[in-house]
Amino acid sequence: MAIKIIAATGCPTGIAHTFMAQEALEQAAKRHGVQIKVETHGQVGIENALTAQDIAEADGVIVAADKDVQAERFAGKKVIDVSVSKAIKDPDTLIEQIISGNVPVYKKGKTAAQKAEVKQIQTGGGTSIGHTIYKHLMNGVSHMLPFVVAGGVLTAISFLFGIYSYDPKSPQYNEFAAILKTIGGMGMNLMVPVLCAYIAESIAKRPGLVIGFIAGMIAFTNGTGFLGGIIGGFLAGYIMLGLQYAFGKLPKMFDGLKAIFLYPVIGLFIVGLLMWVLSSPMEAVNKGLMSFLSGFEHSNPILLGIIIGCMSAFDMGGPVNKAAYVTGTMLLGQGNYFFMAGVSAACITPPLITGFAALFSGKNFDKSERNAAYVNFILGSTHITEGAIPFAAKNPLVVIPILMVGSSISAVLTYLFKVQVPAPHGGFLAGCDASITLGSCDFNRLYCRRLFIRIIEKTFCKKARHC
Amino acid sequence: MPELLTLDNIELDILADTKEVVFESIAFTAVKNGYANDTNRIVKGLLKREEESTTGFLDGFAIPHTKNIAVLTPGVIVKTMASGVEWRSLDGKPVQFAIALLIPENEAGTTHLGLLSRLAKMLMHQDVRKKLSETKNREEVRSILLEYLK
Repeated sequence: MAIKIIAATGCPTGIAHTFMAQEALEQAAKRHGVQIKVETHGQVGIENALTAQDIAEADGVIVAADKDVQAERFAGKKVIDVSVSKAIKDPDTLIEQIISGNVPVYKKGKTAAQKAEVKQIQTGGGTSIGHTIYKHLMNGVSHMLPFVVAGGVLTAISFLFGIYSYDPKSPQYNEFAAILKTIGGMGMNLMVPVLCAYIAESIAKRPGLVIGFIAGMIAFTNGTGFLGGIIGGFLAGYIMLGLQYAFGKLPKMFDGLKAIFLYPVIGLFIVGLLMWVLSSPMEAVNKGLMSFLSGFEHSNPILLGIIIGCMSAFDMGGPVNKAAYVTGTMLLGQGNYFFMAGVSAACITPPLITGFAALFSGKNFDKSERNAAYVNFILGSTHITEGAIPFAAKNPLVVIPILMVGSSISAVLTYLFKVQVPAPHGGFLAGCDASITLGSCDFNRLYCRRLFIRIIEKTFCKKARHC
Repeated sequence: MPELLTLDNIELDILADTKEVVFESIAFTAVKNGYANDTNRIVKGLLKREEESTTGFLDGFAIPHTKNIAVLTPGVIVKTMASGVEWRSLDGKPVQFAIALLIPENEAGTTHLGLLSRLAKMLMHQDVRKKLSETKNREEVRSILLEYLK
């Protein structure tokens, strides 16, 4: 009876090597007079798929792949597991080895993807470490994006009813608007946990996801903002990966126990405590910054502008930004309308920067990024700074300094023109409110000037980021 | 739909001492003939793909490729080198025949992916490689490749 071999090939790009390996194996099989069926995992998807019958009837399996081809299907069969290049270079050896029968039986263990991940950490080889880190970060950001958009836009819509429409004590109160704002707020609150969870998931799959969500909740609750979420994500991910490695030696019967008990409990214990320790000082940092800022209340507008600008753009939603914002609202309550104006300007700037960058330099962004950036015109105009977070998270070292410069310019201009703003939020809508007239015209005129400078800056800098 | 492989996409006996130079030449031709709009990105994309695993495989042939937002329409660019270029090929031999595949980022490019894969597959045949290495001019190269692209 003719020997039947099955194979699965796959390379990351999925255009060339996947099919070259298929061709090479098919030719080699013909030369040796054996049957072969090769399943390919290419760009267009899985072709020539192996059926359960194919697998059952196979005398041996060749996995020639640099990506996950679901090798778990072959548990219990004789499997050779090599890179796609090996099949291209030396298919005859592989076919001969299957024919000889001198092949170990595949046990369901760590998936190839996880093995590759652990190997990468150990040797730093294959793709560069930088690329791997970027990939994990991207997973977090791309999952977080819809939350920001959904939550942010709903909140913005609620402000259309009036910027105090959520407050029962305000004459503007509108129950529907209040509900919208609450729902929107919940969407945005999930931002940090989701970011954290999916960074961790990219690193350590399901166990990482679980712990990542919780670590993200801790980061959010303790006010660390999205920067804390990023740190938490990598922390959770690599610690869970370490746990997987450590528990790897346990016999198979513990697999269920690991998934439902060991990983969650031990993982949360370690990561949770670490996150707690790391994030607890945030409260103190926040208070310290606030008292520092209050001292500058009446100082040089340029200096104050730069400080407020940098603080607001640095960690949008985090302790530093919050300190600037709360100081502003506090002083507003005391009758200082000038201070808050600068803070508002600085908070509105980051999302608008991303919007203009996408508008003028659109080809530097992919489709979903561009759309999110256009949404930021809405979010920025209504003082929802968080819209810029996904963009900052993608490339913090480059984007955050750009945002800081932009916000500083906005804040400085605001202080120089002595614009006043009586509302702690609402953005352009604050200026539209009929009952508030102080400096609102100046406020809006200011943006035009500010935006112009920002546009030039951002286009220039975003280009640099993508080169 | 614009042609995948025009005569202008083929250049023989270029002077290049490294992979990077070959990629620059490929990128330049790609932009000149309207397949791409950014030489820098094409070069970077090709280099990045090499980092994942080498595209040089057997007998001095290589198939560098990149899926890239700078690619406007799918295309095949062919460069042969006057002297072999170090490429860390699977068989260790320097590369003298590079067939570059340029693939657009978005899904609209899938119609040509099958063609590009067929091209890659056909290069696995030793007789095809032999025929290509013996070609004297661009027309011959193009007709051999197109024969297998059908």
